[in-house]
Amino acid sequence: MRFAAVLDGTTGAAVRQAQALGGFLREGLSGDLVGETLVFYQDDRDKTRLVELAPTRAVRLIKSTARRPERVVELLAAVARDEDVPLFLFAGGPGGTELAARLACRSNGAVLTEALCVEAGPERLVCRKYVYSAHMVGRFELSGGPSCVTIDASWNEGPEPELAEHDVISDTDETGDPAEPAFEDVELVDLPASGDLAGSRFLVVAGYGAGSRKGIERIAQAARRMGADFGVSRPVAMNAWTPMDRLIGVSGTRAAPELCIVVGASGAPALYWGIEKAAFIAAIDTDEHAPIVRNADVAVVDDGVAVIEELAQIIAAAREAD
Amino acid sequence: MSALRILVSFKVTPDFEALRDADWLAGAAAEAAHGAAPGVETRYVRRVLNCFDESALEMALRLSDARAECGLATDLGALSVGGRETEPYLKTLLALGYERAARVESEAALDFAPAVTASAIASFVRQGDDPDLLLLGWRSGPGDSGAVPFLVAEALGWSCLTQVLEVEPLPDDRVRVACLADDGLLRVTLRLPCVLAVGNAVVSQLRVPTLTDRLARKHARIDVLLGADLGVDIAGELRHATCVPTEFETIDRARRGVIVDGATPAAKARALFAAHLRDLVEKL
Repeated sequence: MRFAAVLDGTTGAAVRQAQALGGFLREGLSGDLVGETLVFYQDDRDKTRLVELAPTRAVRLIKSTARRPERVVELLAAVARDEDVPLFLFAGGPGGTELAARLACRSNGAVLTEALCVEAGPERLVCRKYVYSAHMVGRFELSGGPSCVTIDASWNEGPEPELAEHDVISDTDETGDPAEPAFEDVELVDLPASGDLAGSRFLVVAGYGAGSRKGIERIAQAARRMGADFGVSRPVAMNAWTPMDRLIGVSGTRAAPELCIVVGASGAPALYWGIEKAAFIAAIDTDEHAPIVRNADVAVVDDGVAVIEELAQIIAAAREAD
Repeated sequence: MSALRILVSFKVTPDFEALRDADWLAGAAAEAAHGAAPGVETRYVRRVLNCFDESALEMALRLSDARAECGLATDLGALSVGGRETEPYLKTLLALGYERAARVESEAALDFAPAVTASAIASFVRQGDDPDLLLLGWRSGPGDSGAVPFLVAEALGWSCLTQVLEVEPLPDDRVRVACLADDGLLRVTLRLPCVLAVGNAVVSQLRVPTLTDRLARKHARIDVLLGADLGVDIAGELRHATCVPTEFETIDRARRGVIVDGATPAAKARALFAAHLRDLVEKL
């Protein structure tokens, strides 16, 4: 079965996309498959680097304009129509979701987003993904036209693909699109530092059990004191006790820290999804039956604010002593 | 100048946090029928507005308020594809100032059929509602696909942005939008009509109507439409769905769960650090 991995090199997300696609092709995709990477690029100077990032040996280069998803979908739909490509793979995120959904719609195909794995059988594709806000994993069968699949965010943190050789099959210029662009006055703004929780190595996550805005502030202060980043569960952010960019979980950031301390959060799957890649989880909660207690490596059953403040003092003192 | 027509499509979902472990296990154990997974029994659980749809509904009200201050009119409509459980929410929205409220009846669950949901929404738009701006949440459970906004936009031939955080109408037929893109926070201008899928916006909670508002709009009509009224064969589209769930599994997330002993919070913190965290923290 043929597949096409789509790498959008016209935005600043190419490396992360390559990591996700590379990891997924190595470990998430199974079956008798032969694939190529469709690399979209904007600037000739980026070509060499983008080819190096491609997760398959066969590469097709397509010169395009950034933030023109409607044009990219047209080009992909032509590939789907003219060549027998039953599977298109996209990195997760807004861009991949748009391309996958629109391509499936236009090609009478199937769309599945955030796949944990894909098994390609002789008759159908089988994908697994989180459902019910990460309470369960669902098995899905895809049929019909091309299957357009995006990859779960858990694949984003892998190493960059390191294929020794690439064969550039074609290089076409598709920048001459006469249609008016859908987006104008595009301005890319850097995210604030607090929003970059995905790369945190030491993370403290506070939940609604903190009890009040004051409780959250005390936990945040303790986190700062021990040199940790600070995130919160959705109920905390919904109460406007912190900015939304601190949100950890299905509707926010997925982190993979070395150490994660969870304070006053029951550990509902929607939150836990955001920290389950942590190497070590310590939980502090008043309820010994809360899911977070059994889903942590170690747990303290007590008042979260009191324990985290004591812990911050101990860690700060240990660091000063070093 | 004519009123800006905004349609907000929303979904009412079960509160997944209210389900018991046994319900998830039963959902995983249930046998597949006709190749499709039966799913988890959620009928007894209380219903909540999908959180991102709630943001979209409040965002539309604030857009309307801001335009009213400038003497500009806005016409708000609310739509839900679902059963009777959506009607209390539609009544609340009418009391809050939404002029139009409609429900597309679906006896079959569309939880894992984003293409069918999108087909119903797009048909509603095409067959008369004719909004300038369609707002909805960027994803909703239990399917969590995030694909519906794009599928609707594709069916309508409109532009679409997802994970939208802010929307500002411009004097002409355009909107200025802040949204999360793959490579950062994006500010971009779009021409109307378009679809905007709301993400983790600061505007996250729907306001509550007063009793006076409720009484004033208590006779306001909720339009109930069948798929056939919109030219959509919901059952047929479901039978021919190209992406079908066949099985659900629970997830074993258990770790060691070692409980730290101690008489006081301070003693427990000391024990936690000494026995479990010291080496980890030194490496960070």
